[in-house]
Amino acid sequence: MTVAELEAKLGLKALNALYGKEIAGVFVSDMVSDVMAGAKPGSLWVTTQAHKNVVAAANLVDISGVIVTRGKTVSSETLEMADRAEITIFSTALKTYDLVGELHKLGL
Amino acid sequence: MANEACRHSWTMTNIRFGFIVVEKCYHCKQERSYFVAEHTPPKEEYREGEHFWDYLGSAQSLQFSLKCDRCGLEVPYDDVLGLMMCSGCTPDCDAHIVSRICEAQKTWVYVALCYRPDIVSKDEMGERLAILSTYFSSRMRTPDKKIVVVPGWFVKDIDMCKGTVLKDVGMFEVEPQEVSQ
Repeated sequence: MTVAELEAKLGLKALNALYGKEIAGVFVSDMVSDVMAGAKPGSLWVTTQAHKNVVAAANLVDISGVIVTRGKTVSSETLEMADRAEITIFSTALKTYDLVGELHKLGL
Repeated sequence: MANEACRHSWTMTNIRFGFIVVEKCYHCKQERSYFVAEHTPPKEEYREGEHFWDYLGSAQSLQFSLKCDRCGLEVPYDDVLGLMMCSGCTPDCDAHIVSRICEAQKTWVYVALCYRPDIVSKDEMGERLAILSTYFSSRMRTPDKKIVVVPGWFVKDIDMCKGTVLKDVGMFEVEPQEVSQ
């Protein structure tokens, strides 16, 4: 499944440009150090964090997309950085637990 | 350091989570940073020779080594405090110059921030960071995308630098989510 297909299936709204990267799995963490150490390339990253460090870490390990949960706002600076890295960032009002349930139902 | 006969396949190993601690001397006003693999950062002030170090702040981070799956060679990065993504903020900064050269090749520049750059030779650091660059680049799924890690001394003025340091700040202040029954 690609990031673009995920947007349609979950009714998510991309906060920046939509990049159709293939999703290789899901990684859930609120710590960039966790992502550096444990995320597999191509993972979709689910987090409550919305600062610039998220993009810097996601780019380093080639994350396919980021979903920010609990309706957190993402700054325009972070979104510009995500566009340079060609990483789509979504925001959802869902809590992390509920979103992960939806992703699991989709087979991710 | 490298085994010339082996076509290395690197894996991150010996991962230690901890804190980057920043402290400042009361007397000479010098600031310094170090990594500590503890559950909480040490905040007590202490004396060391002529210095009197006072805790300024901390951020959660990690240290690690790379190990070759084929020949077993292990390369430690104990002296690397963290990585910083170059933002291209200063035109005559060497990190930015490398970044501009690599831009067309989908190559991203990260800076390795070290806390004792004076005790490691530039050649040795260069060799270890080349291995780190190879490790991150080899994991990319995006076609042609690469990572280059350059040493901290490439940065012209670290105090003015607007790069993004990969660290976790304020995690102890995150409020737990409400539990719904």
